[in-house]
Amino acid sequence: MRRNVLLRLFLAAAVLCILLPAAVLVLWSAAARWSWPSLLPERWSARTVRELLFGSQDLWRLLGSSMSLGSGAAGLSTLIGLLTARAVSLYDFPGKGLVRFAGLLPLLIPGTVFATGIHLVLLRLGLADTAAGVLLVHVMTALPYSIAILTDVTAALGGALEEQAAVLGAGPVRAFFAVSLPELMPGVLSSLSMAFILSYSQYFTTLIVGGGRVKTLALVMVPYIQGGDRSLASVYALAFTGSALLVSALFEALIRHWQKRGDRL
Amino acid sequence: MKKLAALLLALLMALSLTACSGKDEQAEKLDLSAASWDQIVDAAKGTTVTFYGWGGDEDRNNWLANVGAPYMKEHYGITLEVVGMNIDEILAKLAGEKEAGAAAGSIDMIWINGENFYSAKENGLLYGAFLDKLPNTEAYIDTQDPETLNDFCMPIEGYEAPYGRAQLVLFNDSAVTPEAPSSAQELLSYCRQYPGKVTYPALPDFTGSAFVRNIIYELCGWEQFQTMEADYETVKEAIAPALDYLRSLNPYLWNEGRTFPDSSTTVDAMFTDGELVLAMSYSPYGVAVGIENGVYTPTTRTFLFENGTIGNTNYMSIAFNSPNPAGALVVINAMISAGLQLSQYEKLRNLPVVSPEKLSAGEKAAFEAVDMGEGILTQEELLTHRLPEMPAKLVPVIEEIWLNEVVGK
Amino acid sequence: MRKKRTACLLLLPLFAAAALSLLACGSVLAQSLGVIPAFGLEEPTLDYYRDALTSPAFHSALLVSLRVALLSALAAALLGTVLCAALVRVCRARGAMVSLIRLPILVPHTVTALFAILLLSQTGLVSRCAWALGLIDDPGQFPQLLFTPGCGGTILAYLWKEVPFVAYFTLALMAGVSATLGEAAENLGASPLRSFLTVTLPLSLPAVSQAFLIIFLFAFGGYELPLLLGATVPKALPVYAHLAYMHPDLRQRPAAMALYGVILLLSAAMAALYGLLTRRLLRKIGGGR
Repeated sequence: MRRNVLLRLFLAAAVLCILLPAAVLVLWSAAARWSWPSLLPERWSARTVRELLFGSQDLWRLLGSSMSLGSGAAGLSTLIGLLTARAVSLYDFPGKGLVRFAGLLPLLIPGTVFATGIHLVLLRLGLADTAAGVLLVHVMTALPYSIAILTDVTAALGGALEEQAAVLGAGPVRAFFAVSLPELMPGVLSSLSMAFILSYSQYFTTLIVGGGRVKTLALVMVPYIQGGDRSLASVYALAFTGSALLVSALFEALIRHWQKRGDRL
Repeated sequence: MKKLAALLLALLMALSLTACSGKDEQAEKLDLSAASWDQIVDAAKGTTVTFYGWGGDEDRNNWLANVGAPYMKEHYGITLEVVGMNIDEILAKLAGEKEAGAAAGSIDMIWINGENFYSAKENGLLYGAFLDKLPNTEAYIDTQDPETLNDFCMPIEGYEAPYGRAQLVLFNDSAVTPEAPSSAQELLSYCRQYPGKVTYPALPDFTGSAFVRNIIYELCGWEQFQTMEADYETVKEAIAPALDYLRSLNPYLWNEGRTFPDSSTTVDAMFTDGELVLAMSYSPYGVAVGIENGVYTPTTRTFLFENGTIGNTNYMSIAFNSPNPAGALVVINAMISAGLQLSQYEKLRNLPVVSPEKLSAGEKAAFEAVDMGEGILTQEELLTHRLPEMPAKLVPVIEEIWLNEVVGK
Repeated sequence: MRKKRTACLLLLPLFAAAALSLLACGSVLAQSLGVIPAFGLEEPTLDYYRDALTSPAFHSALLVSLRVALLSALAAALLGTVLCAALVRVCRARGAMVSLIRLPILVPHTVTALFAILLLSQTGLVSRCAWALGLIDDPGQFPQLLFTPGCGGTILAYLWKEVPFVAYFTLALMAGVSATLGEAAENLGASPLRSFLTVTLPLSLPAVSQAFLIIFLFAFGGYELPLLLGATVPKALPVYAHLAYMHPDLRQRPAAMALYGVILLLSAAMAALYGLLTRRLLRKIGGGR
């Protein structure tokens, strides 16, 4: 079991690396002045929390729009990911490599290029500056991840189970929902969270395509981070990360719950 | 599969056609050039105006949300919607709209100046001349002021209205370094005295770029640049003494001048951490705000070069495809009134754009009654040490030369 | 035949998305050839590409980007696989730990840059701890990690985000493989290490290698971290392109777009090369499909 000790140590180091910045963030958001080499702030202040809650930005509306966009993008991208994964892993057709390439396409395009290019396209489609346009772009950004995750698990599961169900008389849709979906759930779950996270943290695409009219928390946060007020930047970063964690945990809990109920039936 | 692709393409094209056909309703709009001011105010009532500009200044955001927007609502029935966006992104967005031929855009007002104004005007991204249309131009603005006529030596021709004034200032903590260098030569000996503890933001940062131009003014004078061609070799030759000086500074700078911090905000953070002993800012009253917030020590003080520092004005303009130019005119007119300028002076410590000669005695007294706080220079000291900007075209050229000739040299 | 049609139907949304992406690339490439009618630029030309490819600043930028992308992606793939194995082995791929490693993934790059500055700069928390331990007595003595031509800070910041990403991306597959085939191998008498190296790892490799490709391309094409944490010169290629893109003169736009065109073509070429290499590699170790 020596290996497990090493792995545990590695995990502990990972936890420290992940949590230390978060702790610093908490300290900075309450710091008025914190100069070198003090280990703790010299002057504390609740100014940033006041700004966050009662400042110029409507925090609750921002949270609402970020989360609905994130959930929408997560659902759509996972749905398309499932469809694509099925086509790629369970069907035989020419040009499969091309499909895989199409799935990865948005990843190959640098973010700035993608945002500027898609803005021009969406302008012509009349979708620029609309929530629908932003949702579309978020789905496109998340899609490669969903496809990659879901293709792996669909291929690992294979089509044998559904074929058995079909032999036993289940229609294809029923076979999918009753047999495959519960098995695919870990992948679906990863895909949902990943897509949600990606949409939730989109900045440049939201900015260009939404034209500043579609406001999200990430969109409002970035200028504060670049604005150099480290305390204000920290409090926004804290609100952002905390809310994102909360929602993705909620996602997971909901699906777990649903899965358990499915098991009992 | 080919059939499907064809279907898809057809669908896309159909979509784009329907999107384009809906955009021909511009004709019935009020003709602003012929309309009287009252007609414009009437037309603007009940509309929404979008104001795009940098969103990283929380104090300004708060002011716009709590003073600016309610003022517009109350006096003109206009909903002011402020959108935080960097100017290069605003221009990219406008450029995209122009290219796609979108007749009605989404941006009404833009916070802009300098090279960006120059580029936007050159490329037809602005609405046109409107300054004369505003009653408050006549009432409060000095129309013969060089900064009303020119923006970075670029004729404004009424395409933008002044919003606030900025001026480059230096600041340090008198408890840490008692010296306050007041010329380029003094700055050099200051850097020698505190090696590794002075630097400036890497160009093209706004403040870093202004600092380098200020050094150029110190060593090469400012007059010759007002009419100079934006040619790399010409400019390089003209600023050779400044380049020599900047290179002689490098050995004593932070990280020996091999690398410079990415932005003025980073320099600011390094200064408050005590990593640097000197910082610089485009907001001449910023130190007072910092001392009040507790970010700077009470012994922090502002100073500038004896020969003066670069000052410029930032402006409000209207987008070429503004969906509501009448509303934008009304809002801009209100922004340059004595009332809102005083409020910005008070709340944001912003150098006002109204001309003191045009203010009534009461308005003047109100401006003088404002307590500007600690660690700063008076408005008079600032304005008597104010140098004009260079032509906008030269700025990117100087930035390129700096990158090639100064960093790590 | 019917199967083919079903497959096509299933792929329809993907094709729509891909078509939009291609259109987006097309409009960028058109601009890179100098065609922006709105600004009076109408003649297509390759001059912008020639200028971009012959500039020395471009060459050093390319080297910086390749270095950052390769080093961070390799290290992240390695450490991420170990992290994933630890999660599968120690936490059975569930629980608080799994939620925790999602934190860096959902932190945007700008916030990661903020972390790097708060922790790793010469006045950051690590430097303060070094002072408290008596190791240094001036911020200048703390090693310069950020803003250096070696890009240490950029790479570290990428690692902070990408190691958990690789672990998370691989987790579903590795947990599945480990729970079925890996345990089977152990039941047949293989040691845990041996079962991991010979069964679980090879079967998880498709996910690891895909994660590698994703982060490599991202680090090659992303501009936020190198912009906020990189050196003044040489700049990473996307930063170089981004600054050209932000050039106030809009008629310089094609020059920036040509740089983006180069990034685009290089990314595509590297992805294709990578596809060829991994296919062969995966077939060799028997993990390919």
